[in-house]
Amino acid sequence: MSIMAYNGASVVAMKGKNCVAIASDRRFGVQALTVSCDFQKIFKVNDRLFYGLAGLGTDVQTLSERFRFKSNMYKLREERDLEPKTFAHMVSSTLYEKRFGPYFVEPVVAGLDKKGEPFVCSTDLIGCINFAKDFVVAGTASQNLYGMCETVWREDLEPEELFEAVSQALLNAVDRDCLSGWGAVVHIITPEKIITRTLKGRMD
Amino acid sequence: MSLKPGEVNLGTTIMAVEFNGGVVIGADSRTTTGSYIANRVTDKLTMVHDRVYCCRSGSAADTQAVADIVHYYCQMYSTQHGEAPAVKVAAAMFQELCYQNKDNLMAGIIVAGWDKHKGGSVYSIPLGGSLHKQPFAIGGSGSSYIYGYCDAAYRHNMTAEECVAFTKNAIALAMSRDGSSGGCIRLAVITEAGVERIFVPGNELPTFFEG
Repeated sequence: MSIMAYNGASVVAMKGKNCVAIASDRRFGVQALTVSCDFQKIFKVNDRLFYGLAGLGTDVQTLSERFRFKSNMYKLREERDLEPKTFAHMVSSTLYEKRFGPYFVEPVVAGLDKKGEPFVCSTDLIGCINFAKDFVVAGTASQNLYGMCETVWREDLEPEELFEAVSQALLNAVDRDCLSGWGAVVHIITPEKIITRTLKGRMD
Repeated sequence: MSLKPGEVNLGTTIMAVEFNGGVVIGADSRTTTGSYIANRVTDKLTMVHDRVYCCRSGSAADTQAVADIVHYYCQMYSTQHGEAPAVKVAAAMFQELCYQNKDNLMAGIIVAGWDKHKGGSVYSIPLGGSLHKQPFAIGGSGSSYIYGYCDAAYRHNMTAEECVAFTKNAIALAMSRDGSSGGCIRLAVITEAGVERIFVPGNELPTFFEG
């Protein structure tokens, strides 16, 4: 079995009208066995920037700690918040540093820049950035997610519509994947606030 | 012996329980190709004769082929003998196929049903082709997670309704923990009177601690 599919995970992010959404499943497993249903895969950098990490659980945790360190140091030195595009490049460099012994993760970045423009991107496990204008997907259900996102995504979705779209895309994609699911978490980021909802999906 | 590339796996949790007057059989409904769920509403409870069913786990192709052959042999048996085959006879047919072809098959089968000589019987035929008559049997990848539950919850002389609840709970627990099991629960109660099929959709599964 692929090392990227050992623990199982799925993450998706979508652009909306002056908002972005990022969502992930909650499963942590050891191959076919589900060990827990509250594993965090999405992390906050600041009130306008989130990222998700799909892949090997230990690398998800280690990288989230490394990014917390790097972004805190940035904030102290620069005396300003990280922009999404800058953070994306930070992720890319961090991963490429380990080019010949990589972290087994597929990161997804979603946020609003200082002008309020929505931003999403993803990278592969060695840091190649994919700047998308619509949505990005990662994880064991990524192929299912591509199909669902192509179906439900439209340009300029309002926050509530975007929530529906990203939730349906994630829930239905993970329901066809043995290694993802057991609940979901969705964050909608708007200039005024962050709305976080935990979804109860199929627990099988 | 592992699945060939592209071959489809009945990940699975299957179970059969004997009671006075018949058997209850049950299974989940997930078929996987790797980690993709190819069929989420599979029927793994297959008839080989009017009152004899088998629960299939392992390779979907292998178990379908074996069950088809046993179904044929049971039809020939009932035509030639003028009566339905006993569950023991059907189980012996399965055993012959699974043992003699053990190198080429990946099939874990539970045979269960009712006959007029012994009433309800359950026979387990795991991978090597051995035959085990048991008061209840569990099989498939999901069964590993429910051995403790089944040993603790089983009592002899349960009624049909209690057997149904026991089977439903056990399969639900396995479906929750095993990635290769899931979907809905299909049950069947086999008695002298006939076969009563019960369908439990995903949203009506018994719920337990969920991490």
